[in-house]
This record gives sequence, C-alpha cells and structure tokens, in this order.
Amino acid sequence: MRPVGIIGVGNSKFGRRSDATFPEIAFEAVKEALEDAKITQKDIEVSVVGSTGTRLYESYPSPSVNEYVGLADKGPIRVEAACATGSAAIFTAYNMVSSGYVDTAIAIGVEKMCEVDTPTTTAVGGRANYLWEFHMFGTSFTAYYALFASAHMSKYNTTEEQLAKVAVKNHHYATKNPKAHFQKEITVEEVLNSRVVCWPLKLYDCCPISDGAATVILASEDKVKEFKVEDPIWIKGIGFGSDVNNLTRRGDYTSLSATRMASEMAYKMAKVTPKDIEVAEVHDCFTIAEIMAYEDLGFCKKGEGGKLIDEGETWIGGRIPINIDGGLKAKGHPLGATGCSMIYELTKQLRNEGGKRQAPLNNYIALAHNVGMAGQYCYVTILRR
Amino acid sequence: MLRHYFEKVINALEKFSYPTLKSRPLTLIHEIPILRTEKYWNKLGRGEIYATKCIRCNTIYYPPQIDCISCLTSQHMKWIKLSNEGIIETFTQVHLKPQGFTNCEYNYIIGIARVPEGVKVMGWFLNTNVKDVYIGMHVKILGKITSDNFHLIIFEPYKGKPLNKK
Repeated sequence: MRPVGIIGVGNSKFGRRSDATFPEIAFEAVKEALEDAKITQKDIEVSVVGSTGTRLYESYPSPSVNEYVGLADKGPIRVEAACATGSAAIFTAYNMVSSGYVDTAIAIGVEKMCEVDTPTTTAVGGRANYLWEFHMFGTSFTAYYALFASAHMSKYNTTEEQLAKVAVKNHHYATKNPKAHFQKEITVEEVLNSRVVCWPLKLYDCCPISDGAATVILASEDKVKEFKVEDPIWIKGIGFGSDVNNLTRRGDYTSLSATRMASEMAYKMAKVTPKDIEVAEVHDCFTIAEIMAYEDLGFCKKGEGGKLIDEGETWIGGRIPINIDGGLKAKGHPLGATGCSMIYELTKQLRNEGGKRQAPLNNYIALAHNVGMAGQYCYVTILRR
Repeated sequence: MLRHYFEKVINALEKFSYPTLKSRPLTLIHEIPILRTEKYWNKLGRGEIYATKCIRCNTIYYPPQIDCISCLTSQHMKWIKLSNEGIIETFTQVHLKPQGFTNCEYNYIIGIARVPEGVKVMGWFLNTNVKDVYIGMHVKILGKITSDNFHLIIFEPYKGKPLNKK
C-alpha cells in the first residue's frame, strides 16, 4: 500500500439550494478542488461519485454529475453507504491510489434532499429497514437516534441540557463558516423549548435537511511531487466498521460498535491514540450522536460524553475541538457530501487555513468520523500534515 | 437589534423559492414476497409473535428468517412462539411522522422490548401515556392486524405476576 496525499479540496455552499441542480452544485465543489490542487480534469484518472441518490429525480446520478463537471470519461463507479457515502467514496478512491491502480482520483460527494417535501424525505430515510421496522412502526432517522438518546439518558444520566449544549456549540461555529446551512447562534433554552421531533430529540437536536456537495482529490506520493503540492495532507489511517440492520438485533442502545471497530482500525493503521488527535469532525446528525462519538472514539470514558461537553472540552481552547465547522448539526448534512466535507474542513485546519475557526495544532493530527444510518456503516479517517 | 433584522432577512431569503420544474410523479408500490415468513405475518393477526430457531445450532432469529447464517442451512429451521411479555430497553415518541404515517392522528410511541427467549421485539405503545413509559418497564406484547390491513405489534403495561425468566 502506497502513501496517499490530499492535494485539493472543495465544498459548495450547504443549505436549501433551490437555486441549482445537483450537477451544478457538484461543479462548485469540483471547481474549487481542481483550483485548490492547481490541476485540471486531464490530471484526474478516475472519479468516484458518492450519492445516496434516494431523493433525486435521476435514478443513476453519477453520469450526469461526471458529464457536468468534465469527467464524463473518468467515472465508472458510484458508491453508497447512506450518511457515510462521502467517506465510502474517499475510501474507494484511496484504495485505488494506494494499491497503485491509479495515481490520481477524485471523490465527489453530492446530495440534494430538499427537492421533495419533508414527510417524503423523512420516509425515504426511515425506510432504512423497510420490511421489519418501517412497514409496521413508521420509524424515521430521528426515531432511531431517539432510541439511542433514551437509552443513553437512562443508563448514564445524560441530560437534555447536555444534548442541547452540543447544538449550541455547533451552531456557534457554523456562524464562522460561510458555507454552513445555519448562520445563527442559539441558546440552550431555545433548544430545550424547540418542538419535539422524536422524544427526547427536539428540532434543534437534529441536523437540517440540506443540499450540498464536497470534493477531495487524492494522489500518490510521486504525483504529489510532480504537481509540486506545497502543503499535502496525508491519509495515515482509514478504518471501517458495520453492524446489523435490525435495531432489535443490537446489543444495546448507548454505543455504536461500528464506530469502535472503525476507530480501532484507523488508530492502529495511523499508529496514534485518541489522545494524539488535535481536531476532529464527528458524525453529529443528532446531538446524541456527537455524545456517543466522544465515547466510542475514545475521547472520554463511556458514559462521560455529557460531562465532556459540560466542561467545554470540545470547543476551541478545550482538550479537543470538535465539529468547528458547524458539524452536520449546523453546517448541514447532504448525505453524499458529508464525508467529503469533513475531509475538506480538516484539510483546511491542518493547513492552518481555518480562519476564524482555526484550532491550535502542534502535531497536526486530525480525525474524521462518518457514520452511515444508525451505525450500520462507519468510516474513521486519520489525517496528518 | 440590527442582528435581529439581518436574521429576518436571511430567514426570508432561505424560504425564497427560485423558479422550478415539477417532475413527473413516480409511484412505487412493491409486492413483497412473504412465502417463507408467512406464518409470522398470519400469527400476528392471532396476537402471537413468532421467531425461527435452528434445530441444529439453536440460534433464534427475530425477525424470523428461514436461512441459518451459522449452519448455512435452510432445512433445519422451526417456528417458535415468543412469550407475550418483555422488558423495555428503549423507546421514543414520534411527533414528526414520515410519509405513510402522516394520517396517524396521535404521536405514536415506538419501543424495543427484550423477551425471555433472549431476542428483542419492536412495537408500539397504544393507549399508553408516554409519561408512563420507562426503560426497564414490564410490558405485555400482542400481535395485531389493523382494520386497514397493516400488521402491528402492541405493547401494554404488564398487569399480573412478574416476568418469568427462562
């Protein structure tokens, strides 16, 4: 396996993008990444499109994306791993470069979720396990994570206030990220008083339904030199995990074993420990997901996620700044784009291009954690400058 | 004050809609095969919940499946009736309903209960106030086919002697 560098990243504006189609949004991210890498489409050998596509009018979105961005003859594959689709695209592209099959690859994550109405988009998500859960019980993604929130609150005395503090933090950092869906500070009281979506999760505990695209260009070490990339960021570890689809077959509802599997693999491959991570992007589709991620990634002991946010340790200035681009919670969560957007942010951070939201770094080690569904998929990626 | 004004403008812009084309509608209604799990669906109508058990390795499957992933056989599965009681492991109440459930007039409560056979069952609390639902709660579990021909599993607070641990 060869070292793989990140040579260019791009991120479209996230939000309700009724101004553009999904290929047009993908173009924003691809253009930015190509300009960032100072290369053109000719330098790319393969394009991997990540899009769940479940809310799109196109059944097979990859060819229209590749054609629109000028990569029509480079796109033999589209990948899907629900909310971890962007990471699956990077994982696929990484393996193609690392194995020596190609020297350059682009992962394009794109999703449009706002073209259909809210009950429809809620159902498309909830039909994650149609036959045994949705058909009979009308599950939704908020309902799935609410089942985890109830259990976590009961077992570890995690409070609704602690969940609210995650939302407050991520909304705060979103105001420093012009590409974030939300641009508004909120208070703990506003979160607690917002309407219930699936008890105990309230509106402000949930990520918005967003449109967006993000892109990551990967290259082999030789190509990094050939392109004279000034500040390559290296993928030092990628771990993956997965779990059963039926929630009734899970051991318990306070932890995601896919996160534990993926992170263990990534830490081992990168030869680092949770203590070495200086900035992280974790999967906060709902506030409870960020609390569980703190614990499952080893940033604190199991059950102490609530305490970690209480003590402000995941703000800039704390022990480990987390989701300082606003996270899924406030930046938005266009499924296919999210994994690539995490790598976009961490690449900027590791290059010290974080601007108003730059984390202080000494050893320049960062971690991205991207969950698909309620822990059915997980990827953990460790980056280093 | 000024910030408040800007927020209002931003919110208004967010809701502003640009010109769009309406797509031609697509309706998907699936005919899902239940030949191999027919007993499960039928028994729900009689109030009973069935699982499958591999007679070779004793693995119990819920939801039921006729193929054993441990033995890789499909010929050694038998149907077993699960106890009609369990302990709640987690629950939620759904306020924002997905398409397909938007006609439901109440905010339904979804729970997961562990039954004495060791597997877990998802179900709905009907006629139970969410304030009375808690983790560790002892529930009665009943299958049902509704008047509009949908299958359902219902949890109710258990009244009677304590749960037998098998």
